[in-house]
Amino acid sequence: MLIKLAWRSLWRRKRRTFITCFTVAGGILLSVIFTGSGDYTYTQIIDTSATMGLGHITVEPKGYNDIPTLQKRMKDASLVRETALEIPRVTAAAERITGMAMFASAAKSVGGVFFAVDPAHETAKINTFVRAIVEGEMPPDSDGRKIVIGAKMAEKLKIGLGKKLVYTMTDVDGEIVSEVGRVSGIFKTGVEEVDGAFAIIPINRVRKMLKYAPDEASMVAVFIDDQRKVDEVGGVITSALGNDNLEVLTWKTTQKEVSGMIKVDRAGNYLSQFLVGLLIAAGILNTIFMSVLERQREFGVMLAVGMKPGSLFRLVVLESLFIAIVGLIMGIILTAPFFYYLYSHGLDLRQLVDNMEGYAVGGTMVDPILKVRLFKESAIAILTGVFGLTILAGLYPAWRAGRQAPVESLKTI
Amino acid sequence: MPKRIIRSAARGLTAAILTVALSAGAMAHAETPQEKATRILERVDDMWRGKSSRAVFSMEVRTKRYKRKLSLEAWSKGKDLSLVIIKAPVKERGTATLKSGTSIYTYLPKTDRTIRLTSGMMMGSWMGSHFTNDDLVKESRMSDDYDVSIAFDGERDGQQIYEFELIPKPDAAVVWGKITMAVRKDDLMPIVSTYFDEDMERMRTMAFSDIKTMGGRKFPATLRVTPEDKPDEYTEVVYHKMEFDISLSDNLFSISSLKRSR
Repeated sequence: MLIKLAWRSLWRRKRRTFITCFTVAGGILLSVIFTGSGDYTYTQIIDTSATMGLGHITVEPKGYNDIPTLQKRMKDASLVRETALEIPRVTAAAERITGMAMFASAAKSVGGVFFAVDPAHETAKINTFVRAIVEGEMPPDSDGRKIVIGAKMAEKLKIGLGKKLVYTMTDVDGEIVSEVGRVSGIFKTGVEEVDGAFAIIPINRVRKMLKYAPDEASMVAVFIDDQRKVDEVGGVITSALGNDNLEVLTWKTTQKEVSGMIKVDRAGNYLSQFLVGLLIAAGILNTIFMSVLERQREFGVMLAVGMKPGSLFRLVVLESLFIAIVGLIMGIILTAPFFYYLYSHGLDLRQLVDNMEGYAVGGTMVDPILKVRLFKESAIAILTGVFGLTILAGLYPAWRAGRQAPVESLKTI
Repeated sequence: MPKRIIRSAARGLTAAILTVALSAGAMAHAETPQEKATRILERVDDMWRGKSSRAVFSMEVRTKRYKRKLSLEAWSKGKDLSLVIIKAPVKERGTATLKSGTSIYTYLPKTDRTIRLTSGMMMGSWMGSHFTNDDLVKESRMSDDYDVSIAFDGERDGQQIYEFELIPKPDAAVVWGKITMAVRKDDLMPIVSTYFDEDMERMRTMAFSDIKTMGGRKFPATLRVTPEDKPDEYTEVVYHKMEFDISLSDNLFSISSLKRSR
């Protein structure tokens, strides 16, 4: 009865209600696109950052993250890797040694960062550099002298495929050691700092050079299927390893620039969504309040014939609930085509901004194509927000409606 | 990077040039040309490693941006220890480089700090010159890193010369594709060394001249390094005074003596 009344009174002013619902729908569109692009972009940045060497989760010697040096190394790296691979959600794991090195050719020398890897365990999926190889290929084995360098470094050293370079690093005893490498591949990520400074070297070659034992490494990088589960999976790995000399860290700790950037960006996103929500709520408040004031006489009659003030309150709240529901349905209809397009095709930002190829945040490549994904928790947050704000906006008018003395109400207009 | 040459150069900084000169004297017997070449160069290598030496020399560095001239004094003992100290200009006086084994330390009197060079700094320029820090450190034998042969034997520019060709072994940590070294036939004085990359492009030339007798040994007192890609630039080292096989204490080559050196 009350529901029917609320529904009917809502549609007495079709245009106004429609416009209000449309505002709600617009709000839904905005927050879905905002949140969706955030969900997509953050996941993409996190996943890309993970493939730049450290993984979603890094198992490393204690204290390595604070002061990484080549002296700090973990034993039984392959055992750690196998243990990690057994754990649910873990999609890949790889032993790596990383540190600073000097790369020299006959023409020049440049300082840089090396990742020593086992080529058998590296795939395009877990390694940005493998993915970005534009010429040549990964070294065929982990003992050889083949090496993969960035396009910018190759340019600086004035060398190409098949040419040699000498790399120099400091071994575990602090001695300076050099080795000769042959370029088997060249990668190009598009980020100059990365292309100019990074090199991939077979891990056993580096172990010999640095006087590491055959099973030692700087870290084991672990990759999982869903970046949101890092803490959970990290905990499982910690207890599976049960080794006090090792530390299990997530990308939030090992890739601070990225996590900091995401935090700031996400906070900004929430703030702007909150402001939009507030504006929409003010609009709804305005509409409902107007309709309540308009119907003061009517409410007075209702109260006079015996309606309880509480029922009036519920009536108005129901009206705002209907606005929310209708708004939501309209919102879904409105958002669906945009969402679908952005989900499947994405918006190529390169058309809007020149020079977007190689756009990096915190040293991590960002896909210049804007796409959206909506996590379940984000969708629930949006729904809660819409209903919460709409009902909140209806509360005050509802309270006013129920409080009016019938005589006073009848006197107005 | 430019090991051999540099090595010679660097040693030159301490005693290298000498060695080259001396080595030349060694090549008299005749086996296969390859063996002969190797043996001669090994001699040279060994001679470099004189027991000890003291040298007073100047170094002039000319680059596009600046030109500077330093007066230096250097000591060496065995193959592992050497010390170079700047004597002039006053502004840089006391700046010292100590090589001990494969480590290099730099002492800056202005900040009273001793820095141990890391691997990343090894390819950096030594005191702004065209030598790298790495040039000062490399100690392996030429014959370990290179296959040596005599590429030319005859007259060039009015002199009878040998030209050695040094091809790096595939596993040697050497950036060069080839090094050639011309040596005067009669007294085995080095004339010029040329460094090539793998495409056989010339990268660097080291020319020796001004042969003198100092400290009882004959050697070229001037050596000049010219990078081929910047022909206007060079580093020239001129020896003014040399002493050999003098007695030096190991204490001289300690970090604490770096501070005392000024």
